[in-house]
Amino acid sequence: MAPYSQREGNVADDKPDIARWVDEGAKAIGLPIAPEYRDKVIVNVERSLAIAGPLLALELDDELTPLPVYRP
Amino acid sequence: MSDPLSKAATASEIARAVMSGKAKASAVVAAALERIAAAEPTVNAFTDIVAERAVRRAAEIDAGRHLGPLMGVPFAVKNLFDIAGLPTRAGSKINLDGPKARRDGALVRKLEAAGAILVGGLNMGEYAYDFTGENAHYGPSRNPHDPTRMTGGSSGGSGAAVAAGEVPLALGSDTNGSIRVPASLCGLFGLKPTYGRLSRAGSFPFVDAFDHLGPLARSAEDLALSFDALQGWDPDDPVCTDRDIEPTVPTLHDGIGGLRIAIAGDYFASGGEPECFEAVAAVARALGATRTVVLPHAAAARSAAYVITAIEGAQLHLPRLRTRAQDFDPDTRERFMAGALLPGSWYVKAQRFRRHYRAEVLKLFNEVDIILAPATPCSAPRLGQVMMTIGGVELPVRANLGLFTQPISFIGLPVVAVPIRPPGAMPIGVQVIARPHNEAAALRVAAHLEKQGVCVAAPA
Repeated sequence: MAPYSQREGNVADDKPDIARWVDEGAKAIGLPIAPEYRDKVIVNVERSLAIAGPLLALELDDELTPLPVYRP
Repeated sequence: MSDPLSKAATASEIARAVMSGKAKASAVVAAALERIAAAEPTVNAFTDIVAERAVRRAAEIDAGRHLGPLMGVPFAVKNLFDIAGLPTRAGSKINLDGPKARRDGALVRKLEAAGAILVGGLNMGEYAYDFTGENAHYGPSRNPHDPTRMTGGSSGGSGAAVAAGEVPLALGSDTNGSIRVPASLCGLFGLKPTYGRLSRAGSFPFVDAFDHLGPLARSAEDLALSFDALQGWDPDDPVCTDRDIEPTVPTLHDGIGGLRIAIAGDYFASGGEPECFEAVAAVARALGATRTVVLPHAAAARSAAYVITAIEGAQLHLPRLRTRAQDFDPDTRERFMAGALLPGSWYVKAQRFRRHYRAEVLKLFNEVDIILAPATPCSAPRLGQVMMTIGGVELPVRANLGLFTQPISFIGLPVVAVPIRPPGAMPIGVQVIARPHNEAAALRVAAHLEKQGVCVAAPA
């Protein structure tokens, strides 16, 4: 089995509501975002979604685990 | 050979002059401090100058107290390296309120143990989350070849200081391209070693998974000389390799015989301005390289590097984002905040993909020894420029100057950035990429290109 394929994506077909993502996510992690910063945070989350696209479009094989870096 | 007191002098030339008694370390340091005073109003490379310490150290060297291959060589470090007695700024205002470093960072100590002399700390993009060299707190570092243009970042001061001839050698850090981008835009040689090769102890982190430290200089020999002095296991950095030191100076001038050299195609052959591909072609011609190889899924590698950087960087700074958001550089603040909101599943997927991509790229190194790729998609943009047109597409400068460096540091391959200076134009760099722990091969190629006159890094 190939380690990955591009058969299907992992991104929702419907465009997510990024402003809500930012507002609710910030609340969830206890990060106050002042109103004057909010628009640029939204832009940056949108940009991240676009840049992450090629990674998110890949489907990885279950056996593909991260490389261990922790050495006890 | 350059006058060891001149701005054109390389680290190797200075060391030879001081070792042979033709120049005094004190005179070399005095000349460097004078050049720094003269150039700073234009290039803004330094945030801290440790003149007293440097003068004292030079006097000790002249008294015969420190011997080594870098005897009398003035150098400076990106201000994320600890300098004893100073707060480690890491390009921020916030860190000025932190503790002062109790001792120098590991690599500063190693260079000084080799006889080099620290003269100061260098400007950088805040917390290294930067490809431009701009900084809202300390002003932008300016490109010595055209001060209206960017140095590239985040090791912007390192690029500016060496390109201006203030110092022959500087240390920088490279997480996604922060040595290679300023080396490209400032027309320098820069070495991003193999991940884990050099100790990061005593430097302010950004993204542990990708943080590398390394030198920028105006000759391949200076990179090799300093890299050899910087190598060695360090228990204070858990990532630092316990491999034996592998000196690169002895083979530096062996030429390129026996090296199989290829050009990176596909992802690395589009998405840039013509000058970046012309630079790769010029280097390939000089090396007789005609073969093209494809790094499979390089675009996904760039995505994954971006995701890991955004999430690790944001997690590191989350406490400061909660309490001191107003004290961040406006050009990093909202990017860090956005990174804190990205899904954890993206991070783990990026790490899993990294394993696969690493294996695929390492397979290529069964067939080739060196891969050539552009270092930046364009030469230096103007200071303050927000958007740029690359291959006909309008893109943000900040996120895209590292388009070609990110898929390489993502898997920790060693790279030497070599400079091309087209007549009448700004410089631009080419990445000379080798398999892990084969810095020696990349440095041999850089030295060969320098000897052929194809890659030359003259001070502005």
